[in-house]
Amino acid sequence: MTIKFKQETFRDDYTFSNSPASIRRFPFPFDQDQYMYSVNIEPHTKGEPGSYVEFAIDIDEHYVAECEDKKIVLDQDPDRYIALPHMMDAQWDMVELVMESLSEDYPELFKLTKDGNNWHWINKPLAIDQTFVFGDQSTLPMEPFEYIGRQVQGDWVILDQRDNNLFADMGIVTTQADWSSAFDAGMSFQEWHGPVPHAHEMGIFDRALKFLLNMQYGSPVRRLNWTMTVNPRLDTSPENYPVWGPDNVSVTPVNVGEKVHLRVELQALFRLPRSNAIAFSIRCYLISLQDLVTYPRWAKRLHRVLKTLHPDLIEYKGLTNYHQMMIDYLAPMDDGVDIGLGTQPE
Amino acid sequence: MQRGYWIKSKPNYNTLSWRENTLGHMLIAQGEGGLALVKLLQQRCPVQPLKVLFSGEKYTDILNGFIPEGIDVFASDEEMLCELKSQLSECLMGTQFYVAGDEAFIWKVMDELAVYGVQERDVEKELCGTIARSVYCVHCKTIDKNVHHNIHLCSYCNRYLFVRDHFSRRLGAYMGVMVDAEVPGDIPARQEIYP
Amino acid sequence: MTTLTVKVADVEQVTDVVKHFTLVPENGELLPHFSGGSHIIVSLNINGRIHRNAYSLMGSTTEVDSYHISVRKQENSRGGSIYMHEEVKPGSILEVTYPVNLFAINKMARRHVLVAGGIGITPFMSQISDLNRLGYDYELHYAYRSNEHAAFREQLEEMCGDKVYFHVDSEGSQLDLKVLLSHQLLGTHVYICGPDSMVKALHLTAKDLGWPENHVHSEQFSAPPMGDEFKVKLVESDIELVVPSDMSLLEAIEGAGVDAPFLCRGGACGRCELEVVECDGQLQHNDHYLSDAEKLAGNKVMPCVSRARCSQLSLKL
Repeated sequence: MTIKFKQETFRDDYTFSNSPASIRRFPFPFDQDQYMYSVNIEPHTKGEPGSYVEFAIDIDEHYVAECEDKKIVLDQDPDRYIALPHMMDAQWDMVELVMESLSEDYPELFKLTKDGNNWHWINKPLAIDQTFVFGDQSTLPMEPFEYIGRQVQGDWVILDQRDNNLFADMGIVTTQADWSSAFDAGMSFQEWHGPVPHAHEMGIFDRALKFLLNMQYGSPVRRLNWTMTVNPRLDTSPENYPVWGPDNVSVTPVNVGEKVHLRVELQALFRLPRSNAIAFSIRCYLISLQDLVTYPRWAKRLHRVLKTLHPDLIEYKGLTNYHQMMIDYLAPMDDGVDIGLGTQPE
Repeated sequence: MQRGYWIKSKPNYNTLSWRENTLGHMLIAQGEGGLALVKLLQQRCPVQPLKVLFSGEKYTDILNGFIPEGIDVFASDEEMLCELKSQLSECLMGTQFYVAGDEAFIWKVMDELAVYGVQERDVEKELCGTIARSVYCVHCKTIDKNVHHNIHLCSYCNRYLFVRDHFSRRLGAYMGVMVDAEVPGDIPARQEIYP
Repeated sequence: MTTLTVKVADVEQVTDVVKHFTLVPENGELLPHFSGGSHIIVSLNINGRIHRNAYSLMGSTTEVDSYHISVRKQENSRGGSIYMHEEVKPGSILEVTYPVNLFAINKMARRHVLVAGGIGITPFMSQISDLNRLGYDYELHYAYRSNEHAAFREQLEEMCGDKVYFHVDSEGSQLDLKVLLSHQLLGTHVYICGPDSMVKALHLTAKDLGWPENHVHSEQFSAPPMGDEFKVKLVESDIELVVPSDMSLLEAIEGAGVDAPFLCRGGACGRCELEVVECDGQLQHNDHYLSDAEKLAGNKVMPCVSRARCSQLSLKL
């Protein structure tokens, strides 16, 4: 399969855009007219060909541009990458997970050959050709997790399982929706989810934690999370809030369709074999409202979800300034007809 | 946010009370935390061995009176934490810990205990004296201490920060986020809410 | 659960009641990697009924051309260990799950105290390969009845050097748990695997001495939702079915052609919840979703992981 990789930016001049194919395969998260938090975990099994869940790790047309953006963020703020000393086994687990998945699922783009512990990795889109000894850090240009983390889209947080809990002891975080990995480093599952409204009282994190503690190697799971972003900006970290904050008040009824983007996180969780850690990938997909509404069913569904969204969630997700503008933009597209359950575009 | 919302990472403290089934008790306090120790010891003096580390002046005589083994008094928190480090390396499993003092102090002690895997829920912690906060500026990563207000001017990058309730035990600080990022200069009223 | 097919490459009689099985992949590739303390679940077809037994992986975590398990012949078992001893031979094909670890070492521990009783030594052997490889401080206490029961003693001496202590009943050397646990430095974790009575004794002793729960680890094999067979009546679909011992309630319902809702299939999300119309026995709740009160009330059940011990369970579906 060939992918035409785009040259685009997720900052400054924001030249990002989605091709029609990319729009169609977008991970639209709303299967009903109202949204509330739930333990919406499901097995991460092979999905429809061409869909964002066809493979364990999704590579799309934004791959090269996103890797470039990741590099910019890491150069500016190296603290976006952290790996505590006891996580070295997990670092190698990650190298294996990513290299094996990508080479198996995208053979025209990635190649992995092994001769015992002598591995040869080729990443064509990023023009990387690397031989190394699996398990020997000195044979790679940087730490194994950083090495492979820079070659895959999205954020990855690796959780050490101990004390009947999960701890964020390793991570590469450059596309987060307003949480600080430097601040949250070392926190437990319930702690880093501390600010989320309602979900704790609903027992969602208790149940999710118990489920994750029992996750097995070979049976990964996934779920979707969502928010909105003004401009297709990936790095919406609190660290850089002074940079992207002003965008939140720059939305007008005229530009709302173009500027406001639905931001969906595909979260996949994998048990890692040698370290027994859990790899938590947070893969971010962006789509402008004006692209989204080219599918009328999505326009209607999004309108209804936004209209009925709980005020605490509006506030927590940072939508306050332009929430009504989005509703006004979508309202004319909603004829009120029942569209049934499901996230499909048509 | 609706009434009832609170950030779950915000630590909770209780009044010190004796825990049963231990090999020994270690009490660690500073300043007004001394009064918490007095209240605890007035209930009873436990059978098991007691070790008391206290930095402060006010309650030393009373505490010495309660404890046959005597207490270790320090002129400063730093000196006491140094001694604590060395004591912990020889401590045994089965030791119960009790900490009392202001928030910054409590988490400095917890940080030393964390090295040995001692968990928050296994330590008696009482917040005494000021409820001033340490604030971590998420933009320049500076930590400012003794913050009494809901809006704080970062000592390094000079941004006005909203002091959130999201707390990092590792840093012993609350997150501060620029309060006027969206509309520069639009700063809410500053109130002293952490006296 | 993900499974793979393995072939028995070798069977070794270790003591008169313990056999060591070497398992290799059927198709010649490598086996999945695992962390120290892991186990696999072996499916055994005994007279048409599927039994599932968990066995710890004993080999080094860095060598995955084969898995090593040991089985102690239990006379009063449901038949699994007897079958392993009498029917499984070199060349036998077995279906096993991917490795699961519910007995992992705590990587932040200052030091690790390992306590093994009898056949309970097995999970420690892979743990020790990790402890050695990572350079962590540990000591192993291995208690067994008499020298005929000293499985793997030589291997352990070689792996552990002076870090292993043997406590042989017949030689009058008993392991004193109270002495052991009252002299450990702060930050030590203790791990136990052995007969029930020994595990209970250690937990009690640790608790009495003030050890926090998270520093005391005992092996608990994963409990897939298997159990006795029972009948189910789906009231609205007007279908009766039988849930076999080796299938979950949800799988049995799906097998009967009924479209039951589900999502996580792990007892956490609540999507598969069904209303109980009637149960002439006891519900066995294995989920994390229902509250204690809801479980007691018995009006709801999560079919993906829960079961019933009854002759008939009626559900509203």
